Amino acid sequence: MGEQKLYQASANWLKSAVDALCAAGIEVLAPTQSESGKVDLARVTSSEQVIQSYPNTAFPLKRLFLPMSEVLLEYEKGEEGDVELGPKSAPAKELVILGCRPCDAAALEMLDKVFQWDYSDVPYQEKRDRTTVVSLACSEPSPECFCTSVGGSPQGSEQSDVLVFGGANSAALMQINTAKGEKFIERLADTVTPAPEGTKLPEPTELEQKFDPQKVKGWLDENFESNFWVENSLGCLGCGTCSYLCPTCHCFDIVDEASWNRGQRRRNWDCCSFALFTLHASGHNPRPDQAARYRQRLMHKFKVFPERFGRVACVGCGRCLKNCAVGQNLLADLADIESR
Amino acid sequence: MATKNTSTADQALIPLDYKPSKMRIERITEETSDTKTFRLNFCDADEAQRFEFRAGQFGLYSVFGAGEATFCIASSPTRKEYIECSVKRMGKVTAELHQCNEGDIIGFRGPYGNSFPMEQMEGKNLLFIGGGIGLAPLRSLIWNCLDLREQFAEMTILYGARTEADLVYKEELKTWQQMQDVRTAYTVDPGGETPEWKGEVGFVPQILEKMKPSPKNTIVITCGPPIMIKFVLVSLTGLDFSLESAYTTLENRMKCGVGKCGRCNVGNQYVCKDGPVFRCSDLQNLPQEF
Ligand SMILES: Cc1cc2nc3c(=O)[nH]c(=O)nc-3n(C[C@H](O)[C@H](O)[C@H](O)COP(=O)(O)OP(=O)(O)OC[C@H]3O[C@@H](n4cnc5c(N)ncnc54)[C@H](O)[C@@H]3O)c2cc1C
Ligand code: SF4
Ligand code: SF4
Ligand code: FES
Repeated sequence: MGEQKLYQASANWLKSAVDALCAAGIEVLAPTQSESGKVDLARVTSSEQVIQSYPNTAFPLKRLFLPMSEVLLEYEKGEEGDVELGPKSAPAKELVILGCRPCDAAALEMLDKVFQWDYSDVPYQEKRDRTTVVSLACSEPSPECFCTSVGGSPQGSEQSDVLVFGGANSAALMQINTAKGEKFIERLADTVTPAPEGTKLPEPTELEQKFDPQKVKGWLDENFESNFWVENSLGCLGCGTCSYLCPTCHCFDIVDEASWNRGQRRRNWDCCSFALFTLHASGHNPRPDQAARYRQRLMHKFKVFPERFGRVACVGCGRCLKNCAVGQNLLADLADIESR
Repeated sequence: MATKNTSTADQALIPLDYKPSKMRIERITEETSDTKTFRLNFCDADEAQRFEFRAGQFGLYSVFGAGEATFCIASSPTRKEYIECSVKRMGKVTAELHQCNEGDIIGFRGPYGNSFPMEQMEGKNLLFIGGGIGLAPLRSLIWNCLDLREQFAEMTILYGARTEADLVYKEELKTWQQMQDVRTAYTVDPGGETPEWKGEVGFVPQILEKMKPSPKNTIVITCGPPIMIKFVLVSLTGLDFSLESAYTTLENRMKCGVGKCGRCNVGNQYVCKDGPVFRCSDLQNLPQEF
């Protein structure tokens, strides 16, 4: 887009947007807080359910496009060995995501690359096409955040149809990045107005760069065989929490769930930390131990992905460090690698 | 070897919804006690008409209720009326497939992956080295080459299995043996022979060394168990073959077959997209994760 389109809205923009979209019959995901205190994007029908101040949501966006378990196909076996296949996919309904963080939006870039690589993954792309992403720029990154180390920024606009600046109590500035973003602004009607000529975006939030992915890759290029992998994977349980919470991890399994003469073929999240992930039917396993699997995790994100898709498969959200049961720390490992 | 994203903006993407084509099992051939060959026909005439593939490519075959499994297409692209796959009983899907009868309907999606380098093979001597069920992808290629026989120089087939009973495609082995313009050598591991066995006895690499094929103007294609491939490559090097003109296939575990599920990575290669056919010299530069 040539000249950048900026709009302004009241501090209450999030709640008014929820109400405007819900009134128009559009599906809305907005930040909510559970009784236990967990913040997450959830389907809302009224602005009363929405909270306005939070560091980030518990889960990234990927499950909206690549659900944890998704039906790919239904079948029913008839007489004489015949099989009926279904369902015909229904036209997808419009969905607006309000209030995700820039890192989680940026992760859609990595997922898009994988799911739009020679083959366009229809179940993914349908959900992606119907969705408008409205992100909220970060003014106070969490201690675990490291987006600036992996090419992102607390104000990054990548894959955000709209990027909103402004805290809970100040007026909001909305940066429109795509046609979907324009449509979103239209829907908000007179609760938004074009920003006056010469309006500037707020000063970028400072976030120190914690490692250099180029240097990390340089070491990874040379060290497929290294004691590092054993030493740093000893604690890993192979539970997959880090991948399941990762905005860019996308590995999946395809399985049939049968019940008598009918059933479903599903794709379910999978993870390279699991021992069965690469196990051959012969019993041979190319990644026989947790060290090899931990290596795959780092190699895939910081070496293979840059080589194949031109960037690291990490957006610096910090969820893996925050949530690992045994305190495996990706950031510390990358800093360690960089110092080698 | 490709190291870049192979897609470009102007290259049309192929939509993939993971729904398989329905195929009817036309014929089942029992190859060994644990391996059967299935001849399949598309239920939909248009799909049959449109379907094309190259030797070396694979598909995801499914038994509804059991799931999908990866097998190469074992028939030749020159035989367009059907496709065939040869399946060794290993686990859930393969066991279910072995329970199927002629007339049953199964699923197929594909063809996926790269293929054998037919263009580079033109005018060359061809040496096929197979072991066990590894003859399946080679069989597609061998018939492909036999159907275009005049395009190639000498053709040599070396095939081995653990025992006589484990040899697959027994009728075709005889057919190839009787052909004037094909040299064959069949072998079984020591102890795997019956008193009637007229072939060689010994491991495939040993027989290869005994045959002393000339590396001159020759392309080698070898498929079989990893341990056989490993020693075949040692023997080839000993016979002055360059691994640049030797090709093999990898069989990493796969789910999607199209570069999305993340399962088949070896270094930065996706076996399902950059393979399954690899030049042996390229494999040596990859992390040994296969
Ligand atoms: C490119 C390519 C081409 C191939 N071509 C052929 C071919 O032409 N012919 C052929 O016969 N094969 C071929 N294969 C191999 C074939 O894909 C496998 O043998 C097949 O997928 C096995 O499927 P299955 O469902 O029967 O086994 P599965 O049931 O999926 O798994 C079998 C094994 O997996 C392990 N396993 C799975 N789940 C568990 C669990 N929950 N707990 C513990 N262990 C578990 C076990 O070791 C088990 O024995 C090819 C593979 C590739 C990648
Ligand atoms: S690093 Fe932690 S979260 Fe990830 S698989 Fe290992 S134990 Fe689980
Ligand atoms: S290979 Fe591992 S690190 Fe890479 S996307 Fe899959 S689960 Fe994530
Ligand atoms: S089989 Fe899914 S990525 Fe290769």
